[in-house]
Amino acid sequence: MIRFTVDGREFDAEEGQTILQALDAAGVLMDGVDVPHYCWHPKLSIDGSCRLCQVEVEGFSKLQIACDTPVTDRMVVHTTSDRVSAAREGVMELLLLNHPLDCAICDQAGECKLQDYAFAYGVARSRTREPKRAAKKRVDLGPTIVFDQERCILCRRCVRFCREVPGTGELSVFARGDRSMIDVFPGAELDNPYSMNVADLCPVGALTTRDFRFKARVWNLEDVPSVCSGCSNGCNLYMGVASNRIYRHVPRRNDAVNDTWLCDAGRLSYAEVGAAHRLDQALARDAEGMLVARPYREVIDAAAARLRRVVDVKGPGVVAGVASARGTNEDLFTFKRMLDALGTEGAYVALRRGESDELLVKEEKAPNAAGARALGFAEAEQVVERIRGGAVDALVVVGSELLDPGLLGSVDALADLDTLIVIDTHKSDLELVAHAMLPERHAAEQRGTFTNHSGRVQAIAPGVEPGWEAYEAGAVLAHLASALGLASFEGGYDPVGVSKSMARSVAAFEGIDLSTVGEQGIALRSADGGG
Amino acid sequence: MTLSIPNTTGYLTEHCGDDAFATLKGYTARGGYSAARKALRSKPAELLELVERSGLQSRGGMGLPTGAKWRCMPSERDGPSYLVCNAGESEPGSFKDRLLLERAPHKLIEGILIAAKATGAEKTFLYIRGEYFRAARAMERAIEEARSAGYLGKGRLRRRFAHDIVITRGAGAYICSEETALLESLEGKRGEPRNRLPLPGGLHAFGRPTTVNDVETLCHLPHIVEHGVDWFRSFGTEQSPGTTLFGVSGHVVQPGLYELPLGTPLDEIVFEYARGIPHGRRVKGVIPGGLSMAILPAGQLNVPMANESLRERKAMLGAGGLIVMDETTCMVRVACIISGFFRHESCGRCTQCREGAGWLHKLVQRLERGTGTRKDIAILEDVARKMEGQAICGFADSAAWSIQGLLRHFRDDFDAHVRQRQCPFAGSFEL
Repeated sequence: MIRFTVDGREFDAEEGQTILQALDAAGVLMDGVDVPHYCWHPKLSIDGSCRLCQVEVEGFSKLQIACDTPVTDRMVVHTTSDRVSAAREGVMELLLLNHPLDCAICDQAGECKLQDYAFAYGVARSRTREPKRAAKKRVDLGPTIVFDQERCILCRRCVRFCREVPGTGELSVFARGDRSMIDVFPGAELDNPYSMNVADLCPVGALTTRDFRFKARVWNLEDVPSVCSGCSNGCNLYMGVASNRIYRHVPRRNDAVNDTWLCDAGRLSYAEVGAAHRLDQALARDAEGMLVARPYREVIDAAAARLRRVVDVKGPGVVAGVASARGTNEDLFTFKRMLDALGTEGAYVALRRGESDELLVKEEKAPNAAGARALGFAEAEQVVERIRGGAVDALVVVGSELLDPGLLGSVDALADLDTLIVIDTHKSDLELVAHAMLPERHAAEQRGTFTNHSGRVQAIAPGVEPGWEAYEAGAVLAHLASALGLASFEGGYDPVGVSKSMARSVAAFEGIDLSTVGEQGIALRSADGGG
Repeated sequence: MTLSIPNTTGYLTEHCGDDAFATLKGYTARGGYSAARKALRSKPAELLELVERSGLQSRGGMGLPTGAKWRCMPSERDGPSYLVCNAGESEPGSFKDRLLLERAPHKLIEGILIAAKATGAEKTFLYIRGEYFRAARAMERAIEEARSAGYLGKGRLRRRFAHDIVITRGAGAYICSEETALLESLEGKRGEPRNRLPLPGGLHAFGRPTTVNDVETLCHLPHIVEHGVDWFRSFGTEQSPGTTLFGVSGHVVQPGLYELPLGTPLDEIVFEYARGIPHGRRVKGVIPGGLSMAILPAGQLNVPMANESLRERKAMLGAGGLIVMDETTCMVRVACIISGFFRHESCGRCTQCREGAGWLHKLVQRLERGTGTRKDIAILEDVARKMEGQAICGFADSAAWSIQGLLRHFRDDFDAHVRQRQCPFAGSFEL
């Protein structure tokens, strides 16, 4: 460990770290120690091209770029001297020479580093009378990204990203000097599972996602910190919310989980929150066998009555519960408690599987498979044969994963059930056979925790409210349990309270609840949750 | 145009007028490769010490001591290391390496063998600029001859030292004669200078320790090995020994290449060797070392052409390309051409260079057209100052210095354009 001084404050650095790397590791970069930069990014190789991060290092006559200058022991750095200010002013003036003044129609406005740094470090007046460089305003680089050549300041983060992170290398700099342009190689498209990260990396509005382009002004968006529910990696993200609608997902940095990246599928997964096929009312089967909308409370009571009858006649052994691995730890803990209180044969969790890659995308397509395992849920494969064999008379199921090809494949095996109670976010074929369907809040609409593939417990927060009466799956189950007359479910459902009682009663979660996980999550106590 | 023979010769260019000298037979008949044999019997440390004592400075631009460049090679190596011969000659006004490549290819090969032995390089990459077709062909032929004679590859000298030369061709970018950009280009990447750490470190090609020397520097080596340090130091100045090739172009009676000792006064080169300015006109200014170096006005031409004396006048020897301009030359037009060149050739990586070089060019164009103001001249000075010392390589500095030199010495020309709202030299210097 070596020590160095920046503007009179002492910091530690590891041997070999550059000034910016050490400030980033100390958590003070642009948050206590301001060294503006464009080309440098904590997760990409050092380019040293924008020249904005120049600082004064005692012992060197020239200014040094902080991104590429290794820290040495007792190095003394100044970031606020007149020379540094003059250099920053110079770089800002040059970058603005050919940058269009189209902030009014630019999606980046409001989160644009060129705007921010021009205000902070630039000069108010332009001295140039020369016409700005004219270039193409709308270049389709691929299916996800649109490129505005005029706005590009050639920091080349996008080029390095494609080469270094997905390893696809579609982008490069073409031509030279002030004619330099970022583009795809001839015949290639910017088309990889992580392509949309280049829009986040782009400090200006040159790279925009086709998805978010012209949809909202970013200053109207509230950034709600949450976790992606697309797979068991649990990438940290912000939901950009306005008027009770999610406009986008952007990655939230977590070096233990997703660095600063998000896969395209996860980024676009917000669409399912506002999908047309959301289950937006409670449904119960009437005397004619038709599934009709009924008040929520009435459906809860009817479902509880059917379930109670089965238990009373055949005992709890013919009742099964199948949870969804997209449920929160709190949902699952409540479900498990209800099944235990009923005395059923076991608790199962249905899990969707799919493609994985080396970077972020995991095979388990749900955010909380590890949490379900840690809470004692068994894989749903084990209950499928019991259902097919007629050993199950009543089924309480959250989600529709049970219908996946690897499990039941269709609703056929469920047609003869005495009682089928479904709790779900979206409509599915379960409608054909369910006796009661209860709407559930989506992960984007609820508080709770997920346990990712490596056993990291991370919090989610509600970004939007459903436009209909809907509760967390845990709450619906608590209502059902209460209507069943099961003890200790009367108090309703409070995710924070449930997470605390889970921390008390499940060893792996000891000390881990919603009040302690913070924004970066905490690892589970044991390896039980390892995926 | 066929580049024939130098106007004055010394040890470097002796016999270069003789076509046979480019062949192995002609070269060996005149004593060629005896220095290589001698060098290959020596220890690397002896060669290194010899070259250090000779005081040989690199002739490619910076004028660094060749021995010091060789010393950057690590002494402990766990794999191959390389020599790169920089034949990317692209400084406007400079055309000396071309002559050596075309007319004395075996001298270069001999120099490469000596440098390779001294630095322990097992292979040489000869990086020739894209436009030098004739030079590349001459080198290909000579390398083939040297291979069949056993000087390269397997053969005659192999027991002591096996070495081979691989020719790679540039694609015509000026910046690829900057040594780190050259290495990037050599590795098949976009030709851009590499980041240098503030502390000196060795160069690498393909991740292996590498020395980069230019063509002329390498061509001095056989002579130093053959005749010794005292003989070499009998030419040139105390700090800058040896001869060099001056390329003289522009408004002179006899443009061409002149091999002369370092330290030869600039006015002597222009007025005696190149026989002065034609049409009885007077000289206005001379760019002493290629476009990247600041211009010298008529009153300062008595300067000895060696780095130590040129630095005092904020100029440099560079690659020894003299561009002579007479009194009819519009220095704003010159600024247009120079800044246009730098704008065109900037690799575009650093902000100061990419945007600054373009702005300089636009400003001087405006002045040359007669639509510029005094404020534009002030901005020109300010932009040039802000480009200095802030970029990865020296290109932005060169772009700034060349304009600063013109402004420093020929401010009147700039002012006249503003005052008269047109170029006062109109028609005097057609491109």
